[in-house]
Amino acid sequence: MRPPKSWASLRIHRRLISTTTTTDARTRIAAHNAHINAFVCTSDPPPTTNENIDTGGLVLGGKPVAVKASICTMDMGTSCSSGMLRDFTSPYDATVVRLLRAAGADIVGKTNCDEFGMGSLNVHSIHGPVVNPYTPPPPSQLLPVLSSLFLRRRSPGGSSGGSAAAVAAGMCYAALGTDTGGSTRLPASYCGVVGLKPSYGLLSRWGVVSFADSLDCVGVLAGTVFDVKRVFNVLNVYDAKDPTASTPEARRRAGEACSNRLHNLGLSTGSLHGLRVGIPQEYFPEELTPAILRPLRRTLAALRKKGATIVPVSMPATSYALSAYYVLASAEASSCLARFDGVEYGLNVRPPPGTDIASSSVGALYAHTRSAAFGQEVQRRILLGTYALSADAFDNYFLQAQRVRQLVKDDFNRVFAAPNFQYSDTGGVGSDDGVDVLIHPSAIQTAPLLDAGPDVDGQGQEYVQDVLTVPASLAGVPGLSVPMKVGAEGDGWPVGVSIIGQWGCEEMVFAVGQAVEGLGGDTS
Amino acid sequence: MLRHLCQCRARSLQPRRLFHDVRVYKEDRRWPGWQVVVGIETHAQIKARRKLFSESLTSDPGEIPNTHVTLFDAAFPGTLPTLNQKCVDLALRAAVALECNIQARSSFDRKHYFYSDLPSGYQITQQYAPIALSGKLNISRPGSPTFPVRIKQIQLEQDTAKSTFNPRTRTSYIDLNRAGTGLMEIVSEPDLRSPEEAGAYVRTLQAVLRAVGSSDGNMEQGSLRCDVNVSVNRVGRPPGTRCEIKNLNSVRFMMAAIIHEISRQRTILESAPNPDTATVPQETRGFDEHRFETYRLRSKEDAPDYRYMPDPNLGVLVLNQDRILKIRETLPELPWDTRKRLSDEYGLSQRDVDVLLAVDSGREVKYDGEIGDADAGAVAYFDRLCAGRATPGSSSPERRDPKVVVNWMTHELLGQLAARKESFADNHLSVEQMGQLIDLVQNKTITGTSGKILLRQMLANPSRTPTEQVAQELQLIALSQRSSSPSSPSASASISTTTDDASSELRALCGDAIVALPDEVAAVRKGNKNVLNKIVGHVMKDSRGRADAKAVRALLEELILKQQ
Repeated sequence: MRPPKSWASLRIHRRLISTTTTTDARTRIAAHNAHINAFVCTSDPPPTTNENIDTGGLVLGGKPVAVKASICTMDMGTSCSSGMLRDFTSPYDATVVRLLRAAGADIVGKTNCDEFGMGSLNVHSIHGPVVNPYTPPPPSQLLPVLSSLFLRRRSPGGSSGGSAAAVAAGMCYAALGTDTGGSTRLPASYCGVVGLKPSYGLLSRWGVVSFADSLDCVGVLAGTVFDVKRVFNVLNVYDAKDPTASTPEARRRAGEACSNRLHNLGLSTGSLHGLRVGIPQEYFPEELTPAILRPLRRTLAALRKKGATIVPVSMPATSYALSAYYVLASAEASSCLARFDGVEYGLNVRPPPGTDIASSSVGALYAHTRSAAFGQEVQRRILLGTYALSADAFDNYFLQAQRVRQLVKDDFNRVFAAPNFQYSDTGGVGSDDGVDVLIHPSAIQTAPLLDAGPDVDGQGQEYVQDVLTVPASLAGVPGLSVPMKVGAEGDGWPVGVSIIGQWGCEEMVFAVGQAVEGLGGDTS
Repeated sequence: MLRHLCQCRARSLQPRRLFHDVRVYKEDRRWPGWQVVVGIETHAQIKARRKLFSESLTSDPGEIPNTHVTLFDAAFPGTLPTLNQKCVDLALRAAVALECNIQARSSFDRKHYFYSDLPSGYQITQQYAPIALSGKLNISRPGSPTFPVRIKQIQLEQDTAKSTFNPRTRTSYIDLNRAGTGLMEIVSEPDLRSPEEAGAYVRTLQAVLRAVGSSDGNMEQGSLRCDVNVSVNRVGRPPGTRCEIKNLNSVRFMMAAIIHEISRQRTILESAPNPDTATVPQETRGFDEHRFETYRLRSKEDAPDYRYMPDPNLGVLVLNQDRILKIRETLPELPWDTRKRLSDEYGLSQRDVDVLLAVDSGREVKYDGEIGDADAGAVAYFDRLCAGRATPGSSSPERRDPKVVVNWMTHELLGQLAARKESFADNHLSVEQMGQLIDLVQNKTITGTSGKILLRQMLANPSRTPTEQVAQELQLIALSQRSSSPSSPSASASISTTTDDASSELRALCGDAIVALPDEVAAVRKGNKNVLNKIVGHVMKDSRGRADAKAVRALLEELILKQQ
């Protein structure tokens, strides 16, 4: 399939996204959403279309912001891209949505995603797949056989594919996603936008439909690091409704440590002198394609040129992280999704006529609803998670995966110079020869083809997309994916680089992110 | 968190210690040669104003269904739990009362099963690391030696919703009012040896929970429910396989269920061909309240796998020593301490102690452990009555005689309240008023008979008027032959005049009687002293109980014989 001609208008400079107005956004949604499928519903435009009115001084005044379909809003449905919640509208706004509204943002619509956040390609959705809106440079200099490849539809990545695509297509100024194992960073990389998975516990999860409570984070996507930072700062507020919210004390301590370090480095002058950048050797698996490796090398060389010290580090638990992640995330998913039984809300499928209701177990009755409403991928993970929690498997799977998770956390705490302030009783004191940030590729490849057939749909292939992003999720540390400058050697599609910081060190991550951004982003 | 989980998990997987019986075997005539072993899991609703993890108010069984429900209680997507610290404090009170080892770190787990009374598909409980471990409760029964029951653990958990199935309409009705209410599961070790001991254990536990305000322990209302584990074995053999009987909601049913279970298990073991290999199949059973029998719910093979998982939202509950200390220091008096104090400090009889405690055992338990009015409760009332009234200029109050006080309380006050069909909670007589009444009788300002009349009047006509004033208004001040010493220095002026008046009134009454009964007076003068009783009776009647018979007699003798 060839992209429609109108897509040409989608090759937008990120600066343009930054200044996108509500009217621009709604116009673009109307024009292009039918092809891209980023939005599953949109809100009514605000009463006054004059954008200079009523935004007085508010940080996000009049800014069009999109929200993932798994985050609750009162004025639009919260389907989580699932048959279970197809017609569900939440009776309350998530805390992050409330904060966006209070900052003057215009919530333009809800974005498509993988069902309940489970997927890496945004293909597991009752709303259908999202199409990556990115348009590579004209393939004139490329071989004809390859050029046909470039024009085939590509995935925006998942699970927050709709959010990333909406930002990339200029349909909004910023978008909220969620990130359980990479669901914000991976789509950001594939779509050529900036995506942040904040430190676990900073952004409130009240109103964010759980996939795996101990890993779920609200993610922020936008065209530039500056814009991501602006939205993040609006949302970074302690919320007593979220029992996993980090205490104001932990936030303050981490923030102070980070500010002091930044002050000492003096990054604002443009020099990176003194900045220690760690390159974890385990983050270059054999699946990594050359199209990723070359831009990364150039980026690192440029950072070094600006004064940064590049330090090779080892994080030995990385190779176990993906398996541990899938055990833990699936176990928690089997628990978090147990509430969807069609009784209090959501789809309810009656048992077939003739079923003896009185003698059937309640679980057997619920099975009709759950079998009909959950998609294949969700069912697969619920079954895997149910097994991992069964009495016979618990020790070998769930507990073992928890041990690996601790090893992954230890890896991060060992390499960072800053101490971990997330919990008062863990994290140690940091180390003098530690690094300020880690840098690694966000993904093993550029955006995969949407219609690649069994190769893409085979779970192994899909799961391996997350291999680079899950360690930061397991450790609860912040990760920011920023587009790198790509050359002629690849397929012309965007490639993201991830900057990982110690818990609560978002400021450091943003600072380094802006430095990477300053090296030149995508070729548009 | 992980280390914590692994340790707790390891502990929960440890094989149970070899059975060492803590109790000495005592033959029961009902099942000679058999030993009965019983352990009880008690689910007590925490008497908190709000639910364990939500803002919703808790409810009583009679309330309109689905009116005490927040989005969290209905398991709406995106909602999260917030632990109610009031529930934790109330559980800590129970833990202190049961002499438990309170855990500085405990945690919550999810127990998964699909049922319509469980909207989230899991119950939040404390499987791996409960809030309190290894406690003890001493059980006393009349005529038997006191024995201890070990408490294995106390865990916090959520109550379920209520679902009812209407077979006619084939419809399930779900009421979420109860969903998420805080429960304490109190697990005993298998230290009970008879249905009666089991009953005494539950009653004692109930009294403790009520006394400390943790739970109202009301079995009829379902705020206290028991699961009972029963096994039987031939004396000298290892304990048998236990069966669990679920959801017993009265002590009577629980004892009946144990009795039925004993005979059922005995029958299985006795009819087995080889007594050495005979076992009772491990089962979970219910109790049929109409047939007074247990019935099979599920066998061990059908036992559900609850897929316990640490709750990722709630983390570790850390309790510092200061908090535990504060609970310990402010713990309301425990029943056995009250009993000991009443008998040791006041010298009250067992019977009087029983009466006072029985009154308090029916007292309303307030929400969130609030103590309420300091006058509340018969024991507190008694304490304050005995403490006496403050005398101006003296730092120590004048104490009242505990035996006199307890008699007035148990015989007169409780008796008259009962006659009025009122409970002690309805008593509006303040400690000051009741104390003055006792004092007036004690210092003979009024007679005992008048005191009873006065009490009846004051109960019937509530007011804040001091008792002495009421006594005067009702003209109940005793008639005495001489001016008695005033009842209190502060009131000396008014009292002395009234007693002067009283003394002259008594004289007048006696004079009237002498005039009214000339024949009897003559007989007395002739030496027939028995007839004097009739004249005394006449005066007593005229005085409406205000006169003291001895004084009247003396005065009459004086008047009659002097005039001779």
